[in-house]
Amino acid sequence: MKNKLKVHRAMHDLTQEQLADKIGVSRQTVIAIESDKYLPSLGLAFKIARFFKVTIEDIFAYEGEKDEN
Amino acid sequence: MFVMDRKKYKQLRVVVALFVSAIVALAVIGNSYLLSIAGVLTGIVFMALVRAKAKIRTDEREATIQEKAARMTYAIFAPTIGIGAVLMLIPTQSGLSVFSKGEFAYLESLGMVFAYLTLFLIAIYAISYHFLNRKYGGGGDEE
Repeated sequence: MKNKLKVHRAMHDLTQEQLADKIGVSRQTVIAIESDKYLPSLGLAFKIARFFKVTIEDIFAYEGEKDEN
Repeated sequence: MFVMDRKKYKQLRVVVALFVSAIVALAVIGNSYLLSIAGVLTGIVFMALVRAKAKIRTDEREATIQEKAARMTYAIFAPTIGIGAVLMLIPTQSGLSVFSKGEFAYLESLGMVFAYLTLFLIAIYAISYHFLNRKYGGGGDEE
């Protein structure tokens, strides 16, 4: 799973801490998502997409079987 | 009800644990069982009140890590104590091993404790799996 969270965060001029507070997670979680080390739950993915007023697909890109582990 | 993040909750828990430890230490020094019980109960009641009154915001990544750590702990701990129990019980039951005699005789009791602990662990896993499976929609026959 690739994501453009960092790009959207930069577009909204937010720090990782600020974004984490807005979506109700820790800064470590934002860092982990941005560096593709953690796949967010569907609920959190929706929360992020709604926060940036885009669709989930605008932020997260599914890359097939290698994402399913 | 107020919202408290997991980090603040953990800090509060450490403070309460320190407080309870200090009270228990004082109770031990002063030979007072009552004080130690009061200290522990105060800590338990305070933490229960905090959990009841505050909505603790959990971080989903942390929850995932906790789940994986718990799974790994179970996967390592259950076979380890299970095998440990067998290794302690078989030689003592057969009476052939040096471990069944003299200063090693306690190994049989320890093996029994390990065996029951393994059963207890597996039983808790099975029961919690059953309830969680039902909670999350498994086991139903309806279409």
